[in-house]
Amino acid sequence: MLNVYLFQILNGLGLGMIYFLISVGLTLIFGLLNFVNFAHGAFFLVGSYLCYTLVSLTGNFWLALIAGPLLVALLAWALERSLIQRIYHLPHTFQILVTLGIALIIQELSIMIWGPVGKSIPTPEALQGVVRIGNFAYPYYRLFLIGFSALVAVVLWLLLERTRFGALVRAGSESTEMVSLLGSNIFRLFSITFALGVGLAGLAGVLSAPLRGAHPFIGPEVLGLAFVVVVIGGMGSFTGALVAGLIVGVVQSLMTSLWPQGASLMIYAAMAVVILLRPHGLFGRA
Amino acid sequence: MTTKTLDTVAASPGRRRFKGRLGAGTTLAMLAVMVLLPLVLPSATLATEILIFAMAALACNLLLGFTGLLSFGQAIFFGAGAYISALAMIHLNAGLIGALLIAVVSGCVLALGVGMLCIRRKGIYFVMLTLALTQMAYFLAYTLSDWTGGDNGLLDVPRPPLAVGETTLISFASPLAFYALVASLFALIYVVARRITDSPFGSTLLAIRENEQRASALGYDTRLFKIMVFVLSGGITALAGALYGMLLNFVPLSNIELLMSEQILIMTIIGGTGSLFGSLLGAGAIVLLGDLLSSIWPRWMLLLGVALIAVVIFMRGGLWGGLSSLLERRRGSHTKPHKEAGHD
Repeated sequence: MLNVYLFQILNGLGLGMIYFLISVGLTLIFGLLNFVNFAHGAFFLVGSYLCYTLVSLTGNFWLALIAGPLLVALLAWALERSLIQRIYHLPHTFQILVTLGIALIIQELSIMIWGPVGKSIPTPEALQGVVRIGNFAYPYYRLFLIGFSALVAVVLWLLLERTRFGALVRAGSESTEMVSLLGSNIFRLFSITFALGVGLAGLAGVLSAPLRGAHPFIGPEVLGLAFVVVVIGGMGSFTGALVAGLIVGVVQSLMTSLWPQGASLMIYAAMAVVILLRPHGLFGRA
Repeated sequence: MTTKTLDTVAASPGRRRFKGRLGAGTTLAMLAVMVLLPLVLPSATLATEILIFAMAALACNLLLGFTGLLSFGQAIFFGAGAYISALAMIHLNAGLIGALLIAVVSGCVLALGVGMLCIRRKGIYFVMLTLALTQMAYFLAYTLSDWTGGDNGLLDVPRPPLAVGETTLISFASPLAFYALVASLFALIYVVARRITDSPFGSTLLAIRENEQRASALGYDTRLFKIMVFVLSGGITALAGALYGMLLNFVPLSNIELLMSEQILIMTIIGGTGSLFGSLLGAGAIVLLGDLLSSIWPRWMLLLGVALIAVVIFMRGGLWGGLSSLLERRRGSHTKPHKEAGHD
């Protein structure tokens, strides 16, 4: 019985790390660019489908793991340069509407390219099978998922806290004008951060593809969950995205066996309560 | 671009006079459209669907176009109106008027609750709150499958006749008769909404949209105004939902989905935020486009995405903005349509 809970908790941690990867990008973009990206879930979708294409073309998951997120980031960079840069100065309402349009376009294009039926992606060969500890068995791939995303989290933290780029992002979140006045190219910083944030959503899409496959209508669901995590953790907070992502993942995983719809109901109720009582979330700045 | 809001009905004196003339004109145009729709379109059912969504878009417009509130909550009222009226007909044997009244009242009550909660927050947090509540409503409807039918939808929704006691006065079994019912309700709502938006109440809403702090500093209880417009919008949207259930004889779960909110929003924006007639244009254009294209090109929603981006960036006034600036130019009005339609 205890093993069942351990299994669900580990699943929850994996799910939580996926949620973290999606939401940290959303929160970074919101923190620095003050930009609300309703197309974020759609980029997750692109990541999953790129994983499918790359794996079926080359048979190599590791290539997909590297190239998938990079391609998503490249797409985001191009989109930022051509369109999104023009709407930074608009109120959030307009940003939401434009990115909603982008999400719709990406979703429909994905269906045109990959078809309306979902695709499944095989678990990479090296990670098939299960780990056994006593009478407890756990799939390798899911362990790899937790480990790898934890590694990404650490690298990302170092990038934000220990590098010049990170310092600029953090400074820019405080005051973009000041950073710009001090002589940094704020627009380049914006483009890179946008590409990075969206690329992380793409990475989450690639990583979850062997478990859940790629589905054309997953975008809105992913976006909704990312907002739950970002709101509970606090908009713009790295730690918040990590902690809230893990909480939401574990709660959802534990509830799935008991009452799946109830899990979603509870998660969105929690989001509403947090906005009403503590709009800056667990770790956001007041 | 300096405009801070979804700006279409700019308030310069020239524009205002023109708007007055145009206002009377659009009411007539609206009535003409009502009569022509079922004649021009291949089926009365399609015409009915257009008017039902025009009703929902109009209600959305009161929030977004007139008060500046971008809410993803419209599906709550649309879905609740559909479910509650259908359940009242199925389990309580409610008649036509009873079912529609129950829908409107429950829409108003729900909107009162949702509005009171949501207006405690502004900007992005307001949007997020409406999004969270819609998701909650969806999962609630999904969970209560004994009542709502869950994923399968609520089946066998009747379309009751207008009756006194046991005597049937008017049956709405034929599509054209039902169209006539929906059209008269739409006309009624359109005229009432027009009166409301042209009244001092409507001007106060515009003031809140333009600058809430200033409106509040002038002594208006902006929270009260926002709650009232929520209630109004919720009641109308629920009525549209109830009529949609009767049209389809079925309430799908998608009625209460976030996607429904998005669809209503897109109709409102593409039609023209801040223009009631625009809502009719937007709903008409999108329902028609969907009907024409969905069989030959299932991915037609792609066009909606493109149109949405184009409207927000280049043509803030939507279809109505484009049409009215054309009309203005032809009348040789002195106002500059480009600037006023939000092209700045």
